[in-house]
Amino acid sequence: MTRRFLGLALALAVASPASAQAPAPQAPPAPVPLSSAAERVYEMAKPRILQVRTLLQAAGRQTTLGSGFVVSADGYAITNYHVVSRFALDPGTYRLEYLAPDGGKGPLRLLAIDVAHDLAVVKIDHASLPHFEFDPRALAGTLPKGERIYAMGNPLDLGFTIVEGTHNGLVDKSYDERIHFSGAINPGMSGGPVTDSEGRIVGVNVAKRVDGEQVGFLVPAHFAAALLERARLGPPLAVDKAREEVGRQLDAWQAGFYRRLEREGFRDATFGPYRGLESAAPWMTCWAATNADQVPKPRVSINTTRCSSATGIFVSDRILTGRVDITYSYHRSAGLNAFQFAHELAQHAAAAGFDPGRRLTEQSCTDAFVGDAGGARPVLRATWCMRAYREFEGLYNVTLLAATQDRDGEALLAQLAMQGVSEANALALGKRFLEELRWAR
Amino acid sequence: MGAVMWIEVLSRHGEVALRERIDAAEARVGRAFDNDVVVDDPHVAPHHLRIFRGEDGELVAEDLGSVNGLYPEHGADRVPRLALAASPGLRIGRTVLRVHDAAHAVPAEKPLTPPRAHAAWAAGLAVAVLGGLLLIEWLGLTTERSANVMVLPILGFAAVVVLWSGLWALLSRLLFGQARFALQLRIALTACLAFLLWDQAAEWLSYGLAWRALDEYSGFGAWAVLGAACYGHLLSIGPRRMRIAMGVLVALLAAGAAMQYASKAEARRIAGDAATLGELKPPRFRLVAPLAPGRFLEESQAAKRAVDEARKREPPSGPLSDFDASE
Repeated sequence: MTRRFLGLALALAVASPASAQAPAPQAPPAPVPLSSAAERVYEMAKPRILQVRTLLQAAGRQTTLGSGFVVSADGYAITNYHVVSRFALDPGTYRLEYLAPDGGKGPLRLLAIDVAHDLAVVKIDHASLPHFEFDPRALAGTLPKGERIYAMGNPLDLGFTIVEGTHNGLVDKSYDERIHFSGAINPGMSGGPVTDSEGRIVGVNVAKRVDGEQVGFLVPAHFAAALLERARLGPPLAVDKAREEVGRQLDAWQAGFYRRLEREGFRDATFGPYRGLESAAPWMTCWAATNADQVPKPRVSINTTRCSSATGIFVSDRILTGRVDITYSYHRSAGLNAFQFAHELAQHAAAAGFDPGRRLTEQSCTDAFVGDAGGARPVLRATWCMRAYREFEGLYNVTLLAATQDRDGEALLAQLAMQGVSEANALALGKRFLEELRWAR
Repeated sequence: MGAVMWIEVLSRHGEVALRERIDAAEARVGRAFDNDVVVDDPHVAPHHLRIFRGEDGELVAEDLGSVNGLYPEHGADRVPRLALAASPGLRIGRTVLRVHDAAHAVPAEKPLTPPRAHAAWAAGLAVAVLGGLLLIEWLGLTTERSANVMVLPILGFAAVVVLWSGLWALLSRLLFGQARFALQLRIALTACLAFLLWDQAAEWLSYGLAWRALDEYSGFGAWAVLGAACYGHLLSIGPRRMRIAMGVLVALLAAGAAMQYASKAEARRIAGDAATLGELKPPRFRLVAPLAPGRFLEESQAAKRAVDEARKREPPSGPLSDFDASE
């Protein structure tokens, strides 16, 4: 969602460099009050920030651009995983290069990645470089809301810039820990540093919301510090093993996510005479919709509740994964007979949005009536559909679709969609989802 | 030993153009007017043929020294004499003659269909098909009731059936001399009824048994019904080269079915199964006992095995986007 835009916008920056520029008005220099802090921070940051460029090996030209920053004297630097993902997944086709504000450039080595938090550690072969320090308040999570912070990077390849903004704490209702930054983050700034007024690292630019104004997101500094530590101590990432590492991290992420989902617990939700399962996790956000206000009056009233984890892990330009959606639609006939109602229900009983991308296999489904012998639960018509990730063994997109089949004029249509999930986790949640589809007491 | 023989001159289309009764022991055939049978064919000699009875009393044809000679009806080898006992046909020039003894056996009398029986059948079938169509439309009607929604498709359908029957009647008229529109209509409507029954059976069983593939591939039943209908039409016209006609028919239908299957298989190869529940019916039409959730998920192992297998193959090519949209 948000980061996909960033990926796309990055590509856009490459395709049309500096296109729509209005000439600067020739105004006499006015005595505007300077943000002396911003001036100071940029002066200090200038030798420490980088543009991270992914070049097409054969052409020697840039295909994506991002930013980065040096965090140690021996050349370790932090950027986003999505800035270097093309190189990580296909090191034969791409190579990495940095460009410093003073015009210096050179190759970058990829040392470590953290796909879940969208971070990467790269290294410049250089001794004794000026570098950033981490803000201890940010590492401890005590940075106050409202503090001025400064985001840096090279937006849209227009040149290095500094953006003053406000620290707004962690994003509410989000599974991923993200800092809400009120300031303009633009494509190309991904991976750039965000510092306090002392020039100490608070976070890393990562994404923005396109449906709002100046709503940006930062990866908290402690994830970057942890990854840096891992890169220093552990063996460097073997260039040809990065894909396996991505797969391993995706698997670890989903294991943690489903454990957390289980721990947060579930609660009942009632839909007409039926009830289903709803996650109690605060980051599962639910929205309701109805067709009651349609004109002419609909012949089947449909009330839908859709809960989504809103998680999205950027894996590559073509794969965004890690989301869970639980949707319930309660259908009730308003003038249709049993046959017509069943036909209408069938029109809605289709999982939306599985574009058959080649990065996943074709879909395979199993159909059945589901219920139990005692008749304690409504009989369901269900289908279980899976697609496997071609590049990452053991990960699947799973859709479980079920409709209650016990009454003539009403039914609950339930859908559980899981992206990038292991079979075991999918089965566990799927079983629970089916077993908890009951009659409301 | 009957003294009478009949000589038939066939037209180019194989129908009897002229039938001549010969009471004499010998008959002469040629273009000249002193013959017993006169044949208007520039490739026939003025005195071409003599037909007489041989020593055993069987009929024999003998070439009287013509340029173009004498051939058996279906033979390519010129003969000076031809015994007609085994097969009565012969060819001179471009004309086929058949010579029959008075004792030549003819097939038994064919019972006549009672007058207007086909029309009565066709009317009954039309009522059944229309009733069936209206019922199906009504059961699937989820929008506001309106005459247009219900009647227009049925009118279109009726037009197609009438046009189809008319084309067969025209063919029948050309080849057989009789249009027999009522019979063609009866055959076409029988096929429609069979198709409706098959299609509905597939849809309802597909729901009742939770077997989506049945409905998805029921189109092949339609091809079989179309084949049977064409066979019926051909049989009613009775073309002389039935075997060739049937061969062409089977080949066309097989090609149609194969094309449909190939396009379905191609779409499946790229996208796989759709995540839908298929057509739904009122719950009382469920035919199989429900599986316990655990048992159902065990059976879903089949889906996992399928996609794990697919992972090992090369991704299919074809005109679809390869962005895995999350929306």
